[in-house]
Amino acid sequence: METYLNNKKLIALGFLLIHSIAILIFTRGFLLTRTELPFHSTCSDVSLSPCFASQHPNHDSSSEPKPWMDKLTILQKLAFANRSSAKIFKAFADPPTTSLQRLKGLTTGGLPTFIDVGNSFGAPAIVEDNFINQLVLNGKRLVMMGDDTWTQLFPNQFQKSYPFPSFNVKDLDTVDNGCIEHLFPTLYEDDWDVLIAHFLGVDHAGHIYGVDSSPMINKLEQYNSVLEKVINILESQAGPGGLHENTMLIVMGDHGQTLNGDHGGGTAEEVETTMFAMSTKKHTTLVPPEFDTSSCKQNTDGKQICISSIDLILRQHCQLCLGYHFLSEGAFIGHINPELYALGSSSWNLDDSGLGNFGTQSAAKEWMKHFVNVLCVNAWQVKRYIDVYSNSSVVGFSSDDMSRISDLYSAAEQNWSNSVKHILMDKNGDEGSTDISALLKEQIAAYLNFFSSVVELARSKWTEFNLNLMITGFGILVISLILQFLAVFHGDKSYAVGSWLSTGAAFSLFIVTIRACSFLSNSYILEEGKVANFLLATTGLIKLRYSVMRKTMRKEAFIFLAMVSVLRVSIDIGLTKQAATSQFMSSSPSWMLGIAPDHPALTYAVEIAPILSVVILICVLYIAISKAPSEGLWKYVTIGSMVMTGGRNRIPQTVYVIGLVQLCLLASTRMFCAGKDKNWAIRTVALVSACSSPVVLMSGKQGSMLALAHLVAGYCIMRLEGVERRTQSDGQSKFSKLNPLCVVQWSLLSICMFFASGHWCAFDGLRYGAAFVGFDEFVLVRQAILLTIETFGFSIILSVFGLPLLVPIHSQTPQAHGEKRHQLFQMYMLFGVISATTVTATILCVTIQRRHLMVWGLFAPKFVFDVVGLILTDLLICLASAYYL
Amino acid sequence: MKEAKKKKTPEISIGVSISALGAFSVYLITGLFLAVGFWVIHNIYFVDLISDPSLTLRLLWIIEFPIVVIIYSLLRRNPEKCSYFRAVGRSIVGLISGALINAFGAVSLGAPIGMQSLPRTIHWSFLMSVFTVVPATAVFGASWTDWHRVFASLKPTGNIEYMILIPAYGAIIGAWFGAWPMPLDWERPWQEWPVCVCYGAIGGCIVGQIVSLSLMILLRKHKNLKLA
Repeated sequence: METYLNNKKLIALGFLLIHSIAILIFTRGFLLTRTELPFHSTCSDVSLSPCFASQHPNHDSSSEPKPWMDKLTILQKLAFANRSSAKIFKAFADPPTTSLQRLKGLTTGGLPTFIDVGNSFGAPAIVEDNFINQLVLNGKRLVMMGDDTWTQLFPNQFQKSYPFPSFNVKDLDTVDNGCIEHLFPTLYEDDWDVLIAHFLGVDHAGHIYGVDSSPMINKLEQYNSVLEKVINILESQAGPGGLHENTMLIVMGDHGQTLNGDHGGGTAEEVETTMFAMSTKKHTTLVPPEFDTSSCKQNTDGKQICISSIDLILRQHCQLCLGYHFLSEGAFIGHINPELYALGSSSWNLDDSGLGNFGTQSAAKEWMKHFVNVLCVNAWQVKRYIDVYSNSSVVGFSSDDMSRISDLYSAAEQNWSNSVKHILMDKNGDEGSTDISALLKEQIAAYLNFFSSVVELARSKWTEFNLNLMITGFGILVISLILQFLAVFHGDKSYAVGSWLSTGAAFSLFIVTIRACSFLSNSYILEEGKVANFLLATTGLIKLRYSVMRKTMRKEAFIFLAMVSVLRVSIDIGLTKQAATSQFMSSSPSWMLGIAPDHPALTYAVEIAPILSVVILICVLYIAISKAPSEGLWKYVTIGSMVMTGGRNRIPQTVYVIGLVQLCLLASTRMFCAGKDKNWAIRTVALVSACSSPVVLMSGKQGSMLALAHLVAGYCIMRLEGVERRTQSDGQSKFSKLNPLCVVQWSLLSICMFFASGHWCAFDGLRYGAAFVGFDEFVLVRQAILLTIETFGFSIILSVFGLPLLVPIHSQTPQAHGEKRHQLFQMYMLFGVISATTVTATILCVTIQRRHLMVWGLFAPKFVFDVVGLILTDLLICLASAYYL
Repeated sequence: MKEAKKKKTPEISIGVSISALGAFSVYLITGLFLAVGFWVIHNIYFVDLISDPSLTLRLLWIIEFPIVVIIYSLLRRNPEKCSYFRAVGRSIVGLISGALINAFGAVSLGAPIGMQSLPRTIHWSFLMSVFTVVPATAVFGASWTDWHRVFASLKPTGNIEYMILIPAYGAIIGAWFGAWPMPLDWERPWQEWPVCVCYGAIGGCIVGQIVSLSLMILLRKHKNLKLA
């Protein structure tokens, strides 16, 4: 018997291992991580003359799908009218095409991934080296207006900013009107170098009304007139010595839209945007025709060529200094699209070296020289970034890839130092010879080759899911699920498959299946707490029916339903908190009862209710202990009283310490006098109360009330356990069989507790404050443990440790004890199966929906929470089965 | 004594029994009144369930309630002991208590609470009460054993009890399924509480009526076979 039970402990451990492996494999395929590098480049890194022309990126969501295109006519007109100073390009954005990720990508040059492992603990501010930061470091004055995402990302960088809330999707005009209001006066001032105006109306109009709607068309027409005005102002001031002599206007969309007006995914409509660039400087530079369309497909009308957004991006990885930065900006685009570089560099050329009027022939060569120069430095930057990244990151690039990249780079570099460099150095060299330009072209091709292979590598590393790994992980999980299911019924001879199995088990299977399937939809994931509550209430109603049928425990069934109602109110409150920060939910405080929140009676109630519930909790504990006097468990009672007194630091720490000491005590008594203690309930109560005090303490005011609700609901589940078969099966088997329905209820209750205690499956739902209860300074491991306890305290820790209370056998004979242990093992396995089923469903859904609009906003956080929960559940099941069995 | 009473009741219930055709006509009348209710609301008040749920629900149950009470009070148990008006009176009590029970169930399942959805919840639970509890109170009255036998143990005898039990359960299950689309983000007006739940309840009730009719026909055939 003893070995058999030991085997069981090993089974629990085995499932922990299998689940960990499966999840690890899946995660490697799914969660793409990129380490943020905190290094910043400085001017001294490259000695190059700082030369800068005032630049004016005017970001603007201008997406032009077919039926609605041709609204921004001014851009087309300009692009046709003066082909050398204004151009329209087709830009490609990398998914996820959400504003925050896109802005991050545009400014840092990184590929947006789900987890940017950085130093910031929650705040979205960018710590990596980025364009904006470099501008500031080089003394440029930045003005921002529009979307407040910019100020979240760059809290201190802007000299002047006019942020407008981007939250309210239904509001089409606030941001735009604010922008327009500030944009025109600012254009006449000269106290800025870079101005960013981010319009949002088209985005919002798309979200609300769709692309094919009159608000959308109105918005586009409005933008057209705004652009027209801006361009007029720029041109009027563009004369020599004017305010906008060297200004460059860039109009671009940070992402496109689907036909429904949504974005976030990776379809062609979402990633393709337009980019318009215009220089106020009139110039004559012509780009050599072979670069005009190099590596780009010509569009039907012949004036749109593509630039990839990753190329917009890669260049900025190691921006060096501002003057140089501008060059590298030309270069990065130039490496696919030399025309833009021509556009930018012409103004620089005119400014700096006075090479104002060079003929077409020499101009082309001059341009190529600069272009090669810029590419060279740009390539050096990219190489440096790749090197630093693979050295410092945990999950760097493989050595094969690195050596391939290095080879390409060194080949290009060698070519550079051998042949091209001296040509460039030699300013007065033979300008007419054709072999120079051939050399230059070769050099450019080498650099472009290097860039494209880096881009490919980075893209595969950072943005492509590894489907094989994902499927392998999922397969392992499914196999473990089947094994676990078998383990539940192992050793359970045929008598388990009785008549009740057809009703109770079928119903629990139904409930678990519904819950699992509900994860397929993003809406159900958002309302997961309500769904769990709905299902829990359904089981409660079924139990009520049975209890009415058997004419027992009607009171308990009603109390259970009442507790479920209490929990649902709590879940509603949690949801309103979530809605306040979530971008997916509209905040609707519909549950509010119409009482003013600062009504004195309410504040008193808020103050008194936790204290009352703590008192009740203590009484309940006291009764539980005094009923069955055992070794000195009195001290557990005293802890509860300390919980709410809540001093600054000392008291929480004492609670933690006492909780730890209790746990050690319990573990050691278990070790040293093993097997003697047959009284199950007392041990459970002791363990749960020892765990509960820190949990209750950390979850703040509502903690004690929730603990009480949990206790009462759990008690009702225990009492109602087996209500549906009490009368029919007491004859044959004295020890009632495993009842899956009550385990399902217990697991649903634990999920409800997670949401009722104000959590939700998103990283902004974590209560970072709770990690600092009792401590002031930040120690990563300690605070992470506290945060885990706070997050999963009610839902997993207390639930797993409290599960033995549901074991229905109360007789004390040795035979009964053996039976009890077996049944407890089954219950733990069943609990594990239920959690594993939900996680498997989540993983399946994440795999299916990996290109979904909300995959990074919703499915991935849900996946992370579920996975952490599953591992924790398995671990605690291991511990609990070591403790109880 | 108790045994005797138990034996007595089925005999009486056979006395006021109703054929499948009668049941069908009862369903038809109640369904007709429901349709009339919808018609009145649409053409006289110019609202519907989506634009003004609470008014619509109120009118619906006010129109539906009398006809249900009138018909089912005719089918009441112990017609000689319990007068027609008593049956009507107790079904009014049944309406209110049934509404309370339904509201409790709905709230525990997650119906929105709060001032602006309170009237909807109230009128919805009245309508549910008309579908579920009112026929039973009109027929059974306060006879707990009958309630218990029919609703909890699911052992109906006779066509009337089928008529009470199966549509009532159908309405509840239909409403339960009707709540499923509510969290979806389709932003359709019918996803609001309690519109789709109402549709679900009405649909479930109709399905229950069909099932009960077919059960009645099947069982009668079965009985005939047995007798033969």
